Amino acid sequence: MQHIPTVAIVDDDDGVRSSLTSLIRSLGYKARSYGSAPQFLADRETDDPDCMIADIQMPEMTGDELQAALIAAGRRFPMIFMTAFPTAITRERVMAAGACAFLDKPAEPDTIARHLAAALARGRD
Amino acid sequence: MNTTAFRIAAALLALCIFLFDILSPLEGAVAVLYVLVVLLAAATGRRGDILAAAAAGLTLTVAAYVDTHGPHLAGAPTLRALVSLAATGIATVLALKNQAATATLAAQARLLNLSHDMIFVRDILGQITFWNRAAEETYGWSVAEATGRIADDLLETRYARPRGEIDRVLHETGRWDGTLEHRTKAGEWITVESRWALQHDAQGRVVGVFETNTDVTERKAAHAALVHSERRYRRMFDASRIGVVQEDWSAARAALATIDLADGASLSSHLASHPDVVARMRRLTKIIDVNPAFLAMIGAGSSSQFHQTVDDVLCETDQTFGPALAAFARGDSFHEGETEIVRTDGRRVPVIFAITFPTVDDGDGNVLVFVVDITERRQAQDAVLQAQAELAHAARVATLGELTASIAHEVNQPLMAVVTNGEAALRWLRRDQPDLQEVDSAIGRVVSEGRRASEIVKRIRAFLTKTPTRSSALDVAALIEEAAQLVQRELARAEVELRIEVATELPPVIGDRIQLQQVVVNLIVNAGQAMAEHDGRRLLTITASQPSDACVEIALQDTGPGISPQNLERLFDPFFTTKPDGMGMGLAICRTTAEAHGGKLSVESPPGGGATFRLTLPVPQHGAPE
Repeated sequence: MQHIPTVAIVDDDDGVRSSLTSLIRSLGYKARSYGSAPQFLADRETDDPDCMIADIQMPEMTGDELQAALIAAGRRFPMIFMTAFPTAITRERVMAAGACAFLDKPAEPDTIARHLAAALARGRD
Repeated sequence: MNTTAFRIAAALLALCIFLFDILSPLEGAVAVLYVLVVLLAAATGRRGDILAAAAAGLTLTVAAYVDTHGPHLAGAPTLRALVSLAATGIATVLALKNQAATATLAAQARLLNLSHDMIFVRDILGQITFWNRAAEETYGWSVAEATGRIADDLLETRYARPRGEIDRVLHETGRWDGTLEHRTKAGEWITVESRWALQHDAQGRVVGVFETNTDVTERKAAHAALVHSERRYRRMFDASRIGVVQEDWSAARAALATIDLADGASLSSHLASHPDVVARMRRLTKIIDVNPAFLAMIGAGSSSQFHQTVDDVLCETDQTFGPALAAFARGDSFHEGETEIVRTDGRRVPVIFAITFPTVDDGDGNVLVFVVDITERRQAQDAVLQAQAELAHAARVATLGELTASIAHEVNQPLMAVVTNGEAALRWLRRDQPDLQEVDSAIGRVVSEGRRASEIVKRIRAFLTKTPTRSSALDVAALIEEAAQLVQRELARAEVELRIEVATELPPVIGDRIQLQQVVVNLIVNAGQAMAEHDGRRLLTITASQPSDACVEIALQDTGPGISPQNLERLFDPFFTTKPDGMGMGLAICRTTAEAHGGKLSVESPPGGGATFRLTLPVPQHGAPE
């Protein structure tokens, strides 16, 4: 049976999170959504996703902090970040740490789909 | 005392002679001795005594003759009696003549004693023969002490010129005058103005020198003090770093007197509304003298011909001369202000000045103006203001930046959700078997996210148009004055003339002082910018009036190019601007502020140029709570 990739969505904004979930499912992937970074880290019942899309500005823990925590824990899977406040410094840090993409909000759904496909392809290699 | 003694002696002598004459057997002219009686009586110096003695002598001579010889002619005795009578008569006449001459001299001496000048007479040997009372008092030696002394030795006379030269002038012309120094008995040196005249006797021979001396020691000291003071002030004038200009305002005084003021109008407001009159006065006010500091200030080498009147020095846009004239006409003794003067190279120099109007005694020709160059201070101030403006701009930009970021974040989230949901809905719909359930829920989320975005926009707008928080009663004149002061520099730089006309007895308005001030500042700055590139007169007139009981109107009328009809419609729209670096928020915020105060902000721009902004603010009605 063909493996259906699972995409994790981490965003504190309900509207964005639910719309992304719908979009990802319409693209034929499985979606799991989390309202915060700690919530994602606390989910021990499922395996790592095939890809993660995370917001940068979140209360409790930011997207790049989440990235660092995952790397430190040895959990490596393709990551795509999005932000409404793109800054050059954050972009550099996140990309240097191995992120697949750094997108400005609002991001075009086509762009998201393209980066997601590329990330999943990379993850399978 | 002496008089009485002489009288008694004369009487006794007369008695002795008489007795001897009748009792003595001697045949001789005994009666001739009555001459002695007359001379004794003359010693009293009185005319009456001489005449009485003469009468007694003559009577007694005749009496003795009659007693001895009877009333008959008796040859030799008769001849002797006649000789005696003649001798007495002649002696009497001589004595009377002498008495008259002595009386004249005594009167003259008394007169000389009345003089305040020191008067003395010295003979050809230089010995003092006369010494008046003033000489006694001033020099300190009595008549007895001075008489017979050599004048130059006694007074240790110091001559400014060689003594021989003075004597030569004295003998050639008969007189000499000049200044000498004498030493008094107390040892003090005094300065005297001395006048000498030669004295001659009846034969024309020089017998002495008549000398009068006036004590000028104090006068000389006072003069010296005056000269000293004059020099000191000249030194201050010449060496001061403060520019000093001496001006003659007498023509201005005369011209001011001819101004016919309308009823109730003050001179200052008359001058303010008649710049031509002020311009004429500038040309009438002459510059008499300037000091080196002022010459340096205007960059002139010497008192140049170009600076004959105040008009040559003051810059064209000067606003201070009218008020100075008003102060002068009021009789103020002092007036100060800040203006710009023009250098010979045409550059302008900012200065502060103080005018001292002279007292009545001194006359209008001696008006002194003290001028201090404040270029450096102004530059420093400008730098500070520039820094402040940059800081304020930076702060505003920072605030706007934060606001933009927060708007971006708040609005971008729902926007992203809308687009993403929409896209998802499309994909669910375009599937081979469209999943209408998913489409339905995605579009439902599109709608709710759209609503959420519009709520956010509403919230931001509410935040930007907060109502005034600090309300107080504000004096409209003060409001305009303060706002004008804040932008005075900008207007001066743009060479804009500002005229403020505030109606009397305007009621106060209620509002936030800072916010309303900013509205007025904004409108003034806009007017200045509108006129900055404009040729022709740049005049901004701010009037405040009360068109009705309910409101006060502040109108700002400029002489700029005006506003085109199509721009006029959109002028107050947010983000509408005609300036290359404008934000387009100024007038929008001004109108919002006016409306938040219950007022209005409108504009009119009639064809032919010039725009007028009208800020109308409500007046609290009586009894209404503030």
